[in-house]
Amino acid sequence: MALDEKDLDAMLNAYPAKVKKNRKKHILVHDSSQARQEIEANTRTIPGIITNRGCAYAGCKGVVLGPLKDMVHIVHGPIGCAYYAWGTRRNKAKAEDSKQNYLNYCFSTDMQESDIVFGGEKKLAKMIDDVVATFHPNAITISATCPVGLIGDDIGAVAKAAEQRHGIQVLGFNCEGYKGVSQSAGHHIANNGLMDKVIGSGELTEAPEKFAINLLGEYNIGGDGWEIERILQEIGYHVIAVMTGDGSYAALKNAHVAELNLVQCHRSINYIAEMLETKYGTPWLKVNFIGIQGTIDSLRNMAIYFDDPALTQKTEAVIAREVARIEPIMEQYKRLCEGKTAFCFVGGSRGHHYQGLFAELGVKTVLAGYEFAHRDDYEGRDVIPEIKPDADSKNIPNLTVTPDEKLFKLKISPERAAKLKQTIPLSNYQGLMAEMTDGSIVVDDLNHFETEALIKALKPDIFASGIKDKYVVQKMGIPAKQLHSYDYSGPYAGFNGAVNFAADVSMAFTTPTWNYTTPPWKNQPLLAGTIESN
Amino acid sequence: MDTNVHFRSATENPCKMCMPMGAILPFKGLENSMVLIHGSQGCSTYMRRHMAEHFNEPIDVASSSLNENGTIYGGEKNLKQGLDNLMQVYAPEVIGVLTTCLAETIGEDIDRITSQYLQERGLLKSLIVPVSTPGYGGSHAEGYWQAVKTIVSHLATATPKHSKLNVIIPDISPADIREIKRILAMMQLDYTLLPDYSTTLDRPLVKPYRKVPDGGTKIEDIMAMPGARATVQFGLTLEQNLSPGHYLAKEFGVPLYNLPIPIGVQNTDLFLQALQEISGVAVPAALQDERGRLLDAMVDSHKYNFQGRSVIFGEAELVYAVCQLCLENGVYPVTVATGSKNSPLAQLLQPKLTDVDHPVEFIHNADFVAILAHSMDANIAIGPSDGRYLTEKQGIPLVRLGFPIHDRVGGQRILSVGYAGSMMLLDQITNTLLAEKQRGYRQTMYDTFYRGADRLPDATLPNSGLRGERHEL
Ligand code: SF4
Ligand code: SF4
Repeated sequence: MALDEKDLDAMLNAYPAKVKKNRKKHILVHDSSQARQEIEANTRTIPGIITNRGCAYAGCKGVVLGPLKDMVHIVHGPIGCAYYAWGTRRNKAKAEDSKQNYLNYCFSTDMQESDIVFGGEKKLAKMIDDVVATFHPNAITISATCPVGLIGDDIGAVAKAAEQRHGIQVLGFNCEGYKGVSQSAGHHIANNGLMDKVIGSGELTEAPEKFAINLLGEYNIGGDGWEIERILQEIGYHVIAVMTGDGSYAALKNAHVAELNLVQCHRSINYIAEMLETKYGTPWLKVNFIGIQGTIDSLRNMAIYFDDPALTQKTEAVIAREVARIEPIMEQYKRLCEGKTAFCFVGGSRGHHYQGLFAELGVKTVLAGYEFAHRDDYEGRDVIPEIKPDADSKNIPNLTVTPDEKLFKLKISPERAAKLKQTIPLSNYQGLMAEMTDGSIVVDDLNHFETEALIKALKPDIFASGIKDKYVVQKMGIPAKQLHSYDYSGPYAGFNGAVNFAADVSMAFTTPTWNYTTPPWKNQPLLAGTIESN
Repeated sequence: MDTNVHFRSATENPCKMCMPMGAILPFKGLENSMVLIHGSQGCSTYMRRHMAEHFNEPIDVASSSLNENGTIYGGEKNLKQGLDNLMQVYAPEVIGVLTTCLAETIGEDIDRITSQYLQERGLLKSLIVPVSTPGYGGSHAEGYWQAVKTIVSHLATATPKHSKLNVIIPDISPADIREIKRILAMMQLDYTLLPDYSTTLDRPLVKPYRKVPDGGTKIEDIMAMPGARATVQFGLTLEQNLSPGHYLAKEFGVPLYNLPIPIGVQNTDLFLQALQEISGVAVPAALQDERGRLLDAMVDSHKYNFQGRSVIFGEAELVYAVCQLCLENGVYPVTVATGSKNSPLAQLLQPKLTDVDHPVEFIHNADFVAILAHSMDANIAIGPSDGRYLTEKQGIPLVRLGFPIHDRVGGQRILSVGYAGSMMLLDQITNTLLAEKQRGYRQTMYDTFYRGADRLPDATLPNSGLRGERHEL
């Protein structure tokens, strides 16, 4: 079954005219014969439309800062925001020093009405003192929620004063929820803060070992990062810092010495990737460790970049061994999944990343999209110069960096970089659309109404998304796969992750429950024939 | 790390959520209703996420999606637009409009904006119920009652007397609501139960799927609440200004039975006694049997339960009722805690503690660090999922009850009201104590009796031996 522009148009007729006009620009039928297809993204959410988007605070504290395990993350604001971001992403972490892991904690200034009226700076300062006295964390972050900016609390000043009192870094993030149009604004704010204050402050001036890399935009959901690190370490890479899954402040400080930055989730971390290149001369490589081929391609591209015979050889050896090991298992699952179709609507990168893995199982992605991505995540980075900043994006301060006087070091020559860019995605991202098949639907900021309408029209066999739409989908009789939290499963990245994913998806297809939805008495009598009375 | 310190200046691992979160729930229990939260979209997205995880149901809550612009020029335009869109796509019969910290801080007057909106569009007053729920104004429990109270005060209209009974409930599970309804039916009562999210938030899997679920309290029934023969409200811990039952009594003279949640023998007895008084129908034999079975279960388990020392936490109303159940069974509380700032829990429970041979700590505005600091001598915790912190830090097993349950399935179908429900909850408490005991009692026996008296754990010290082993003979 396929939809064309006309069908889409008819579907959107349920909206008021203005809303329809707006939403039309966010949905398209992919058609590679057109030179270019433009999609609108990262614009204001329509009020009253039940969106899946969150706020800047969620992007800043919830996504980027939260996983840094050895920092205490204080949420300055009323209790709700802090509570809701407490342990809700499944970013896992182990800490070498078991005391320097605060991921299971929720710290909130719990502002009350009086704090709103008289200001909450004193309370915040006192809380920092308490936290330092009790936990002795390596550093502290403060994330502001909506009311903070409005009442004029200066968290930057409180942070600075606290730094002087305690001699540790205290970073303030003005990520009030109303900033920008989604989580995306918060990613940017967090990126700026970490780049400005943390990265580059470590004492290392060069990489301690060969093949030193950073892994950016990997949040270790369900242990993804651990599977990726397992593979990288075996090949011979030295991972300096992960941003930010199972990441730490201590490691982040030395991220500037890496030879290459890998970018998994482009949306949430591309600002740091770019700034690292400008400030320290380290290029970044777009990788995708979801899916077997994605993982293989990423590893090979890394080997091409480092251009070391032994490393290349080891890369191929590991790939060959892993593939031989998991291929037969994947084959079995493939038999259960072959020929099915999927919707893949997730965040800002997974909507793209999982398509390859689905395809490896014989599942075709017929609809994909992102919650809070920008046009470049759909159309590729080439469109960036065309994207005009609007009032909302202008509200997010831009951090401009220049080459660091002491630490800037070109990791590869411009000539070689230019050459490599022809073959590998070096400092470049092609976006989601490049990999989609013609006729599939691309949709930005999918909402509740459209979810339902599109499911009815396209009848996918599985819907990969988050918990907010999971139950809508399941009630419609279609299996859902949460790709934010993995339904308590995972890892899904790398080679072992692919197997886990295949197993979970197969389970969704084969669970017998769906067979029972129509009760037998609706179809046939229990006893054949008729029973005559008397 | 010294976890015994409680940050007086702030909250660490909170035992509460914010007001609008609690206020969503009652609206989910109205027929054909939708909710719109006036603020930035983050709040509603977070709340949907948390509620979906507890109820395992779609939670559709709209937002006016305010942004920086709105914080400067006000959010009126966004709110009205949001209402338009909601009406067009969902055609609800009633819309709850809730505020957030953001809306309140910038001073949005949602009463004015919504009534103006209704006028402009020529719509009925009953279509929109605006509720002021600043996140900093109280916990989710207060938000819940603020919403129920406002629904009643906004919709109730003077009505001729009729034979229905008003039943107003706190945040209990959909399974609990169904049990209350079963009991009401057995007592042959015709009633308006508010809010009734027993199906809307615990929907059967049937085809076809409907966007706005069936079920919920009918708007016309709420309007007619002033004509009811009486109100039964489970709201013993409620402040009067938040109490819909008191409102109906004061404004319309509806007699109020303000009762505890029927958990435990005495609380359920109170409920049935009230129903018998109101209906004139004697408690039927089937219910008397259920009562007898609960008593029988209590006798069977009392020797295990008597070793229980409980930490009971969560929303005040539920905490009160669970304390009663525990007191009836010897699972004496060590710590009683709620995230609410003011609640009469201590006054209400203090007189019932005469048999308890240890001090009982009451904590308001509680967080889990404070709760843990006072629970070193406890061997069972009863409350929502976040209590797992007590298990992780101190090995206190947790019986999950209340809202939210986000690390287990089935929060929506935990049954604990009525004689039958009380028995199920009690069995769970008893079995948790037994499991804890069986986990290590051989070792304790060995350590206590075999290795000799010089190794005997000091029975006067808390934490000697295993949890649950202390007064064991
Ligand atoms: S505390 Fe306030 S800002 Fe935070 S989620 Fe609740 S209403 Fe929103
Ligand atoms: S939008 Fe504002 S108030 Fe709501 S969760 Fe985000 S930061 Fe908190």
